[in-house]
Amino acid sequence: MVGVERDVSSHRVNRRTAFTAGLCVLAAMLASVSPATALASRTFSLNETGHLHLTSHHGFTLNEQGSALGTISGTIYIHLHVVSTNRVTAEVNIYPRGGSLTGYASASYRPSGSVASFNGTMSIGRGSGRYNRAHGSGLSFTGTIQRVSDAVTVHVNGRMSA
Amino acid sequence: MSRLAALTVLAAMLVCSLTPPAAHAVSELASLHASFSPNRLGAPTTIIFGFHLQTVEGQAPPPLTALDLRMPAGMNYTTTTLGLSICQPASLLANGVAGCPPNSRLGYGSALVEVPFGVGAGHEIPEVQAVAGPSRAGNLVVLFYANGLFPVSAQLSFAGEVLPDTGRFGSQLQTNVPLVTSVPGGPDVSIVNVQSTIGPAHLIYYKHLHGRRVAFHPRGVAIPERCPRGGFPFAASFGFQDGSATSASTTVPCPPRRR
Repeated sequence: MVGVERDVSSHRVNRRTAFTAGLCVLAAMLASVSPATALASRTFSLNETGHLHLTSHHGFTLNEQGSALGTISGTIYIHLHVVSTNRVTAEVNIYPRGGSLTGYASASYRPSGSVASFNGTMSIGRGSGRYNRAHGSGLSFTGTIQRVSDAVTVHVNGRMSA
Repeated sequence: MSRLAALTVLAAMLVCSLTPPAAHAVSELASLHASFSPNRLGAPTTIIFGFHLQTVEGQAPPPLTALDLRMPAGMNYTTTTLGLSICQPASLLANGVAGCPPNSRLGYGSALVEVPFGVGAGHEIPEVQAVAGPSRAGNLVVLFYANGLFPVSAQLSFAGEVLPDTGRFGSQLQTNVPLVTSVPGGPDVSIVNVQSTIGPAHLIYYKHLHGRRVAFHPRGVAIPERCPRGGFPFAASFGFQDGSATSASTTVPCPPRRR
């Protein structure tokens, strides 16, 4: 009986040691990975510039694809919907390595000669992978559209959590 | 019961006080026409519009001071390349449309004016040009230029602002029309008839391609992809110097279905 009790106690010690070691490994892993992959969400400044070209248009929507550079880099897609003569909405998808971010924007739209500009705000609606906890709102969403080619340059600035 | 009567009288007084004076009697008649060329659903087009104004007695109306042209919902401004350049109003007034970049031209037309002396059937201003002006508060601006030579020698430029609209209408062109004196110190002329286009028909733009200047036709505003029952609605309201106002409406018939 006594021997059995000793064995149980020994197992408890071993499990505790293993658990502690596991925590240390996990802590080491968390320390080594980038902030966006941390389990606890972290707020940081997003400063992105995207250069996109028209891939198709349907009705009032311009579908654009390009590359985003800045805090996170990757392929960027924008569906720019012209709501009225002076207003646009947009769905913005960025695909950095290991995840994705989706934002929704609303902006005023000012055509002036060969360039139209837009200026408004964007909120991060959802994310996946490394950015599955992504959220944020009130980010600045500005840019231009070259009216001959429909090429878009977009700037997104603001604070977000991921 | 007496409270109900008092409320009824109050409501009636309120309704009477809110009714605009111009609604009591309309002394001017207006007719409006509009068409698309081509008239094909979803296709870039040239909008052709015109209006005719007269008094109920068939005389020339008072001088026009305001025009608000409302256009159908669903007109697509997304991919138009009209107005790739901007014309400055001062340059337009000083040099006519020649003072504007070719890529600022939006359309053209003519007008019929009547001078308030003598007897005549009106005098044509053969040159009315529409060009893109500097935007106001982000809204598209259309500058109109009229070059009158005889009997009214006057060149005038005035601006219309394209604003979003609601319901059956998607946008409206709000224009304040300046008064034009017939002779120095004389009465102002009356606008009787205007015909104009907004669109690429007969317009040539230029772009630089591999170091060469290449001509091209701009792409117009696109017709909605669906036609509402009864056709595409247009409406216009007109304000006159004497404070009176009138309005007119028309529809562009739905294009025949393509087989």
